[in-house]
Amino acid sequence: MPQYRLMYFNIRARAETSRMIFAAAGVEYEDVRVAREQWPAEKASGKYPFGQMPCLEIDGKFTLAQSRAIGRYLANEYGLAGKDNLEKAKVDMVIYVCEDIYVGVRNIFFEKDETKKAEMKADFVVKADSILAALEKLLIANNGGNGYLVGDSLTWADLEFFVRMEYAPFFNAAILDQYPKLKALAERVSSVPEIAAWLKKRPKTDF
Amino acid sequence: MPTYKLKYFKNRGLAEPSRLVFAAAGVEYEDIRFDREQWQSEKESSSEKYPFGQMPVLEVDGEVISESKAIARYLANEFGLAGKTNLDKAKVDMVVDALQDIAKGLVEMLFGKDEAQKAEAKEKCLTKTIPTIFSALEKMLTSNNGGDGFFVGDSLTLADLAFIAHTDYHVDQLKEAATLSAFPKLTALRERVLEQPNIKKWIEARPKTEL
Repeated sequence: MPQYRLMYFNIRARAETSRMIFAAAGVEYEDVRVAREQWPAEKASGKYPFGQMPCLEIDGKFTLAQSRAIGRYLANEYGLAGKDNLEKAKVDMVIYVCEDIYVGVRNIFFEKDETKKAEMKADFVVKADSILAALEKLLIANNGGNGYLVGDSLTWADLEFFVRMEYAPFFNAAILDQYPKLKALAERVSSVPEIAAWLKKRPKTDF
Repeated sequence: MPTYKLKYFKNRGLAEPSRLVFAAAGVEYEDIRFDREQWQSEKESSSEKYPFGQMPVLEVDGEVISESKAIARYLANEFGLAGKTNLDKAKVDMVVDALQDIAKGLVEMLFGKDEAQKAEAKEKCLTKTIPTIFSALEKMLTSNNGGDGFFVGDSLTLADLAFIAHTDYHVDQLKEAATLSAFPKLTALRERVLEQPNIKKWIEARPKTEL
């Protein structure tokens, strides 16, 4: 088993899906959380290929950057990526669509102007509805939608979806009520024993 | 061989990396390009063919995949242009995602809300985003056996093709900033890939578009 160090801030944001992949796969890793004040010195150390986090250090030998590259690498290593190229492509499709959810939420979260924030929220709810409607359809097309988003077992697409929907309270806490299969999927993901254990033990963060 | 249909606008844009993968692999496909009105009517009449209401989409033997990078990676995986090991594939992904970060900046620069925002985005892009990312890519390329081959491993991958697609804009339209020429290994890589016979053939044959 390689030695893994996952480096990020003490937030969920762009590292949480990888942390969930480690949890689902039952793989040990060092969950490094860099404090904001430490980051400038860390960045200057040259350890981070693009001067950003998250990064995944593998066996102290190679540092992978870019959150989705990290997630996909771990998913491929531990059988959570989809069974063949076509499934992997469908998984990737979900990953990129969930990115749109993340970016929308992140922009709202960090907006300081209250009027602008309210406007962004209203716009985003419309966008999120359109994305979720499409995902609900995709899920249902996969054998009726009582399993997982792609194929017949958990993939990192389900984990990414769950992680992004944890942000629903920032724009519409009850949004999944309109999408019953997606709502059930989120519950199913959180009930996977290894995931439930992680959700219980992980540091509680705002974002 | 499956039947492939790639649908997009009349641009290089988000579809070009996939078109380059087809070209590099020597695989036939239908290169479908819609103008804005055609897209509006497609979207309305065949919405099931556009799962997220966007293009590009790839139709392969009745399956539909959307999201440009999912498509490009799928094709690269199918045709052996994705990288040989999971780690190599991850390195390819890293390059593709880093280029995407530049593309985001360019989009803000070109399509920002107002002139002030566009100027700010341009400043940030040219003085920070592009130099930072290109430096990191130059370093990554150089660390791969001196940088006179390809980004990852010892053969052409999606990383090199995405780089070509991406830097078309730098070379054609960002001339004033000479952003690529400051990076010798990246510059040489671009020239080297453009000389590959299949790629050269496609570049010469493809419709000439601004973006």
